[in-house]
Amino acid sequence: MFKSSLLALVAVLGVTAAQAEPATYAIEPSHSFATFEIGHFGTSTNRGRFNKTSGSVIFDKAAKTGSLDVTVDTTSLDTGTAAFTKHISSDEILNVAAFPTAHLVASKFVFNGDKVAEIDGNLTLLGKTNPVVLKAQNFNCYMNPMLKHEVCGGDFDTTIVRSQYGVSYGLNYGFPDNVHLVIQVEAVKQ
Amino acid sequence: MCASAGMPPALAQSVPGPVTYQLDPNHTFVQFEVMHFGTSTLRGRIGPVTGEVTIDRAARIGDLRLRIPVTTVETGVRALDARLKEPDLLATTEYPEAYFVATRFQFDAAGGVKEVRGEFTLRGVGEPLSLVARSFACRQDAMLKREVCGGDFDGQLKRSRFGATLGLPFVGDDVHLVVQVEAIAP
Repeated sequence: MFKSSLLALVAVLGVTAAQAEPATYAIEPSHSFATFEIGHFGTSTNRGRFNKTSGSVIFDKAAKTGSLDVTVDTTSLDTGTAAFTKHISSDEILNVAAFPTAHLVASKFVFNGDKVAEIDGNLTLLGKTNPVVLKAQNFNCYMNPMLKHEVCGGDFDTTIVRSQYGVSYGLNYGFPDNVHLVIQVEAVKQ
Repeated sequence: MCASAGMPPALAQSVPGPVTYQLDPNHTFVQFEVMHFGTSTLRGRIGPVTGEVTIDRAARIGDLRLRIPVTTVETGVRALDARLKEPDLLATTEYPEAYFVATRFQFDAAGGVKEVRGEFTLRGVGEPLSLVARSFACRQDAMLKREVCGGDFDGQLKRSRFGATLGLPFVGDDVHLVVQVEAIAP
């Protein structure tokens, strides 16, 4: 978005041809973010975004298989409100000093046609691991005109139950146990 | 979540006459969403938004005035934040604030706000905008000892209508606004 629109004019949109072999894609950090959403006293939704995500995806379009290994830097949390960011980061909630990363590993990609529809994996947060199912809201591959490589990505979401990771702060006075995770991801073919 | 404990959510009892609420800067943000190469959704946050809203639930009328500091735009990518502020996008030097002024409120049967219609001004260009409530509630906030009303609202605009055209069509023209708002009674 922030480079020359002239370069963008030569972009090739759309899904590229199916390929015969699994390829490795590196997470593109400027288009890969996890945002949490949690209800605030039944009134509005509080949000926070983790600014640093890294990792890689192995993806085989022809065989319709994939796996991924992604790390989210929990110290990179940003809510827009300094006091809120500090509290979420504290040992009452995410305890980022002791657990500076969250880790997602998945080896089951469910396809709908030639697009990824769902990723089943395991999320480790605060040292506890639980299964998660990420549902695709969007999925696409395109030839990126600036990077001159294929990029695949999409929008995914899931709902986790925070008490399953030992995060029980505020449950007793009405803060929800369910946390919605909204994930943007793009990954560059290596 | 960090500072206050509250009562269970419920629509507070109707107060006769208009009540003017001040927006709570800790819980009032605009998030924009725009499609990137038909693939994933770019998001950015602007805020806190300041302003006030006057609601008369019995008369079912309202008046909303928001000042949206577009200079605070923040995506998690500094280079993109800087690019967004340039003249072909948000033009924040010339137009450091956007505005939403709305006087057409729709209420549900319980007196909750369903939809707010008004004029959104960005880059000095005014266009009609409707914000539709995904949720709305009022509560008596235990910490603030005040009634707090708010919710989540969705809006939709075309950035080209406001002259913010960089990157079209590879970065989408349709911009989805996801608005969190809470406002505190006097």
